[in-house]
Amino acid sequence: MEQIGKQVKLPLGRALQIAVQGIRIRFGRSLVTVSGVVLGVAFFMSNVTSQLIKQAIADEREQRQTLNLMLTLMKSEIGDLSGKTVALATFGETTVSERDLLAVLRKTPGLTLGAPEALGGKAHLLLVLGAGPATASPDILTAGMAQPVLLDSLAERAYPSAKPGSSLAQVRRELFFGRESEEQADKLKTQAEQATFRTLWIGIISILVTIIGIANALLMSVTERFREIGTMKCLGAMSAFIRKLFLIESAMLGFAGAVIGTALGTLLSFAGYGLTFGFGLITAALNVGGLLVAAAACIAGGTVLSMLAAIYPANFAARMVPASALRTNV
Amino acid sequence: MRNVIARAIDVKRQYKLGKETVWALKGISLDIYEGEYLSIMGPSGSGKSTFFNMIGALDIPSSGTIEFMGADLFALPEEKQAWVRCNKIGYIFQTYNLVTVMTALENVTLPMVLKGASKKACDARAAEVLDQVGLGHRLHHLPGQLSGGQQQRVAIARALVNAPSVILADEPTGNLDKATGAEIIDLLKRLQVEHNATIVTATHDVKMLAISDRIAWIRDGKLDRLEERKDVKFTKE
Ligand SMILES: Nc1ncnc2c1ncn2[C@@H]1O[C@H](COP(=O)(O)OP(=O)(O)OP(=O)(O)O)[C@@H](O)[C@H]1O
Ligand SMILES: [Mg+2]
Repeated sequence: MEQIGKQVKLPLGRALQIAVQGIRIRFGRSLVTVSGVVLGVAFFMSNVTSQLIKQAIADEREQRQTLNLMLTLMKSEIGDLSGKTVALATFGETTVSERDLLAVLRKTPGLTLGAPEALGGKAHLLLVLGAGPATASPDILTAGMAQPVLLDSLAERAYPSAKPGSSLAQVRRELFFGRESEEQADKLKTQAEQATFRTLWIGIISILVTIIGIANALLMSVTERFREIGTMKCLGAMSAFIRKLFLIESAMLGFAGAVIGTALGTLLSFAGYGLTFGFGLITAALNVGGLLVAAAACIAGGTVLSMLAAIYPANFAARMVPASALRTNV
Repeated sequence: MRNVIARAIDVKRQYKLGKETVWALKGISLDIYEGEYLSIMGPSGSGKSTFFNMIGALDIPSSGTIEFMGADLFALPEEKQAWVRCNKIGYIFQTYNLVTVMTALENVTLPMVLKGASKKACDARAAEVLDQVGLGHRLHHLPGQLSGGQQQRVAIARALVNAPSVILADEPTGNLDKATGAEIIDLLKRLQVEHNATIVTATHDVKMLAISDRIAWIRDGKLDRLEERKDVKFTKE
């Protein structure tokens, strides 16, 4: 009498083929599943992007405020800037705000900007920028100026001491960046902590919404096929093969959904903030590295989540006695 | 002598519904011979489908067992059970159980795909079998685009595609009108005669009696009586 054989284990390549064919013949339904993942991931990604953009806008605003403060201080010393001559001494690295200030000054019509030595006594004001210690004393830097006015961007910059006997009475040092008072620092700190808490909270909620959305989409797509899984088992499919099939399928659908969702979420967030604050501002200020990391995490997370959501019910159905799988009516 | 292909040994099956226990099968022993046409008759709820699922390794008995090709079906490892389901048994259900998103051809190729046959071999063989059941002109239709009788023929073609030794048909004509049902019955009979297949059908349909070799009457989860219908078979032919 003939012996009972062993069912062949289909190679991964064949399973891949069958999974792709399955997605193709169920294209409409697959799109619905993918959209579920897209919605979840897009929601999450738009939150992340919004957060990054808000941060960027806040930084950018702070910079602009500093810039405006610098300009206001200069104007309060020497009046309207056009037609004036400003001497510039830079020691060490300059900050973004300082560079912005220089850019604005260079564009101001009628304003002459140059080194203290070159301008001699014609300068109305001496601007000292940069983070390093000064290499010349204030009296040398302002030598020849009718009314020596020195504006310094650092409150505690070290200067070589002046020659004995020279008068420093008219030299004024203004702070662009003073150290905040302790009180102010505390206030800023609590504000920052509150913002972090809010961000964290929104993050947790959006993660939950995303997880539930994706899990729901994939769970549905598998449970509605319990009968089909039962049929496949009747026809000789093994549990491991069914698991493999759903793993491949959910990985592909999940990946597609996560990629589209990430792109969509980023774009929507960009569009929203861009229309309110101007695209120039947000693209210039955005932390591109952070955005890329978030996008990669979203794609990986969405894919893995989809696989997890599919494999649980698929595994359950694959282990079911075929008769009960066939009886299910979803 | 006739070979026994499947043997039920005191098969019992209980369902627990809350605290209540329902005995769907109360101990059925029955030999099924190679090449015979066996009808399982009985009133609704008597346990026909439950018994049918046991023979086909689709359900596990609460006690007792099925011997298939001389081996204890429920002691076999999964890959051997799958091999039996794939190669030795063809299933036909009252509700067809076709994969609705696959064409007739794709449905019929499934059992071959699962045993690793090439796409070319699958398509050729599936088309041949669909032609045999009279659906050569409907290869690329979806089940939803076919009539009930045509869907059942697709299911029959799918059951046949791996040339199994046993065809299990649970009320194959239950959802069909008389004429279509008669055609399906003829088709099953032809399979038995032409391919020496063992046919086991669960049914209420008395038309089945006329072409059966044996009839097992099941009542209330027990084998009530077994009838030989050799005489009928000979007068028919
Ligand atoms: N999954 C289940 N859970 C609980 N009870 C069940 C289950 N399946 C069947 N039964 C019970 O087992 C008994 C036999 O059912 P079965 O489906 O085998 O009958 P049948 O002879 O096929 O009936 P029909 O001719 O109507 O198809 C019935 O009393 C039924 O209620
Ligand atoms: Mg039944």
